[in-house]
Amino acid sequence: MIFELSKSGNPLFREIHPLLAGLLRTIVEDPWERYPEGSTRLLPPPGDNEEICLDWQDHVQPDLRRHFDSERTAVERDLEAMKQGNGKKTPFTLEIPRQNVDAWLVTLNVIRLALSTEFQLGETELNGLRTSDSPLDLTTARGLALVQVNLFAFMQECIISSMDGYVDDTEMG
Amino acid sequence: MIMPFLGNSPGTLQSPETTLSELLDPPWLVVVHNDPVNLMSYVSMVFQRVFGWSRERAQRHMMEVHTKGRSVVWSGGREQAELIVQHLHGFLLLATLERAPE
Repeated sequence: MIFELSKSGNPLFREIHPLLAGLLRTIVEDPWERYPEGSTRLLPPPGDNEEICLDWQDHVQPDLRRHFDSERTAVERDLEAMKQGNGKKTPFTLEIPRQNVDAWLVTLNVIRLALSTEFQLGETELNGLRTSDSPLDLTTARGLALVQVNLFAFMQECIISSMDGYVDDTEMG
Repeated sequence: MIMPFLGNSPGTLQSPETTLSELLDPPWLVVVHNDPVNLMSYVSMVFQRVFGWSRERAQRHMMEVHTKGRSVVWSGGREQAELIVQHLHGFLLLATLERAPE
């Protein structure tokens, strides 16, 4: 996967292996259905004040959930527009319209937080440090979740770097 | 859709609707807490977006969250504090509001 800016100045990911494209499509799965325990992290309480928390549950959290759903819908449209070369095994290209950058950053963060909470991914694992007690096993849902969280983190970093007006050819093998 | 909060500074921002009781009561603090999943660059970006801070100021608060576990990012009236926390939650930051110590 290679990141750069398109001629229009939009964040663009190209040479996306079909395997990675498949993982990208998991971004828009409904986290509340897919990761019920993990999604508890998405709507945390605003503090300890009971009155504020009750009001938050009734009025703010439904708004936030609608906000996340709306951002996910925008991302889903961009994913549907992802282009593939000729042939089933050819790489994909994804261009993110600049007006959807926030939607992508939020949606990527939603899925990263839901996965990390659902599978209780620790800080050591998230930082890519492995120990003999925590081998990376991609045959498990947990191992796959770690790959997704790190892939989506890479994408977030790329998109944010483009927002600063700084771009280099950031390549991920 | 949640719009960014355009504040010039995180100090006590007062609107014409601020009541006398809000002026006399201890202010409310907006606190951002550390979450190892949130990228440092993402947290900085959110601070710049929500508060209109410079990159340097945003990074200073981000590092405080990262190293000390929390950072007070705003203080003022309760209503505005709630709105700011909602904006921060809209970006998935762990934020709470609490009374400032008297």
